[in-house]
Amino acid sequence: MLIGMKKATLYALKEDRDAILLSLQKSGSIMLIPENEKVSLPGIEDVGTQIDKTKDALKFIDIHGKKSSLLEPRPNISYDAFLEESDDGEKLTEQVDTLATKISSLRNEAASMLAQVEALAPWIDLDIPLEELASTQTSVYFAGYLPELEKDDFLSDIKGLLAETIVLKEAPEGRAIVVFAHRTAAAQVKHFLKEHDFTDVVFPKRTGLAADIAKDLTNASKMKTSLADELEAEAKKVAQKKKEVELYYDQLAAREERLANGGTETQKTFFVQGWVRVDRTKEVEKAVKSVTAAYQLEFFEPAEGEIPPTEMENPAFIRPYESVIELYSRPKAGSIDPDFAMAPFHFIFFGMMLSDAGYGLVLTILLFIAMKLVKPQGFAGKLAMVIFFGSISTIIWGALFGGWFGLELHPLLFVPMKEPLKMLVLCFGLGAIHLVCGMLLKVYMLIKQGDWMGAICDQISWLIMFAGFLCMGLVPGSLGKNMAILGAAIIVIFGGRAKKSIFGKITGGLLALYNISGYLSDLLSYSRLFALGLATGVIAMVINTIAQMLIASGPLGIAVAVVFLVLGHFFNIVINVLGAFVHSSRLQYIEFFGKFYETGGRAFMPLAIRTKYMNITK
Amino acid sequence: MITLGTALAFGGAAIAAALAGVGSAMGVGIAGQAGSGVISEDPDKFGNVLVLQALPGTQGIYGLLIAFIIVLNIGVIDGNIKELSTFQGLALLFSGLPIGIGGLLSGIYQGKVAASGIYLCAKRPEETGKGIILTAMVETYAVLSLLISFIMVNGVKL
Repeated sequence: MLIGMKKATLYALKEDRDAILLSLQKSGSIMLIPENEKVSLPGIEDVGTQIDKTKDALKFIDIHGKKSSLLEPRPNISYDAFLEESDDGEKLTEQVDTLATKISSLRNEAASMLAQVEALAPWIDLDIPLEELASTQTSVYFAGYLPELEKDDFLSDIKGLLAETIVLKEAPEGRAIVVFAHRTAAAQVKHFLKEHDFTDVVFPKRTGLAADIAKDLTNASKMKTSLADELEAEAKKVAQKKKEVELYYDQLAAREERLANGGTETQKTFFVQGWVRVDRTKEVEKAVKSVTAAYQLEFFEPAEGEIPPTEMENPAFIRPYESVIELYSRPKAGSIDPDFAMAPFHFIFFGMMLSDAGYGLVLTILLFIAMKLVKPQGFAGKLAMVIFFGSISTIIWGALFGGWFGLELHPLLFVPMKEPLKMLVLCFGLGAIHLVCGMLLKVYMLIKQGDWMGAICDQISWLIMFAGFLCMGLVPGSLGKNMAILGAAIIVIFGGRAKKSIFGKITGGLLALYNISGYLSDLLSYSRLFALGLATGVIAMVINTIAQMLIASGPLGIAVAVVFLVLGHFFNIVINVLGAFVHSSRLQYIEFFGKFYETGGRAFMPLAIRTKYMNITK
Repeated sequence: MITLGTALAFGGAAIAAALAGVGSAMGVGIAGQAGSGVISEDPDKFGNVLVLQALPGTQGIYGLLIAFIIVLNIGVIDGNIKELSTFQGLALLFSGLPIGIGGLLSGIYQGKVAASGIYLCAKRPEETGKGIILTAMVETYAVLSLLISFIMVNGVKL
């Protein structure tokens, strides 16, 4: 069911604003409408930067310390404890932030030192301290790399010149060499160097022999690395307090949301508007009243052209199926919530596609345990419940079709593999009911809007025709035929009523009748119920057959067979649950919703405390 | 002795399993390449990406399914291979074609849609569900191929 919305306007004193917003957030009943300009309150930037910092800190903790386990339930915390902000979280975040910066700068320094050591490696044999490598009054020096292939040519080229060459180790850049030349020969040496693709080297600004410098740098880098290791050990200790950082993150997120919308203000007062569920207006009033008596709060029906957000509410058995709709698109405000009509079909289709009672049992038990342990919330929780219901349906269908872990056992109905035609008739029958349901919902919507013409000509006419087809098969005589002709006649005569010209009216009517191919392909689409059930059953059979062969091969084979059976059936369950969910949803989205559903609703997201890590208990 | 008919039936099973398997392999491969790129940016999306990557994998399963039913029916599994007439064999060969060809092509295209679904999940993780549904649309045709292959195999009385 869709919940009606009222628009609320609130005037109050500016000095009460923080308290009022907090109280509203606690009650979680109003969705504030952003004003055109200057919406956020001062301080939101700081909270934003703090949130980013906390996010980084949590990432750092994830890498260095505790990885959060998927199965761990969220810790519980009471409202008051949550809202009581201590600076522990902030301090911890600061601490982690400093640690992270220190560690990364130490590691960077160590790495750059090692890079220098590597660059010095070819020069280790040089017996001149680096600071003494300099040109004098009579000589000039060149130090750098010469390509290995050019080395011999270069040496022979400068043989006659007044120059001395020291050839050192080979490096990726080439052969390291130092050339000392007399000033008179400098120009020529330089020319030859250039000719042989010589590149200059830039030494680190340090004094001493290259070998000593390299040793010093290596030691220093080792020191920095071990210091970083120590800090990381410390980080591991801090990571134990991850929960506090997470709490801090949730508190910050709640504060950011509270600050995001401050409404319009005058010197002394402020004004906000928002959407409130029809049945929650009292809560909003109470929340404001608990802070101050100086306020004015009014509720209005939405004005013409205003589109309120969409909120669905359904009984507990149907509520999980809201997740299937959230995956698609919310219904437009004022249209209908299809959950109640969709849920039973989703339930039936899911079970038919999995259709193995053994798998259904395993899945039911596993999901039951998992939900008890993790207690998934929100969307994930709803989704888990949909699959849980589906697995119960799987047990039922599995028993009807006699499928137990791929073995055939007392089918209560019939075995689809042996009687495929019967199974197809069942699929198409269920499909026809599904489609007719969708069309009836459209009829209901059209009549509610007062469009009787549309209801009769575009929907009921088709239903008459389909009923006629059904009668032609079941009831002897011409009743069915006449009904089908009546339906078709209505479609052809009124199908083009929106067109202006006579010609348009005629072709429009005929084209409308052509839609029958659409209905046919919709119906054929339900054959997937059979095909996916077949996939589960036959793959289970394949697994069993291979296991049988393994068992026949001896005692070792039996052990392997057991492992193979467990893994194989588990894989089959996983892949087919995915298929069953996706395809039973698809049958809703394309075939069912296509008949009547109006999308385009916005989610109702009230100002509330939304947490990522904590579980708030009232 | 293996007759020409029996050999042709083997061909049907081979076409079903091999072509559909290749289609799935290519589809899962295409999606997997896109997936690694997204995971390199955000490892937390692994779950969503894996679901999308797994979707084009079903064609291979469907192909295997038809191949298995064919070899089961001609008695390969229990060791008493039946002697099929040439026409029976041909019929089984043709039965393998729909899921073979349908699985091959739908697997590749489903992989492409899955890859774009993975990019969608990278940009707007909250819309992953829609990417999954779009990907599943392609699978419809593999399902239809599977169905007709099955009905054909089932119709060959040995």
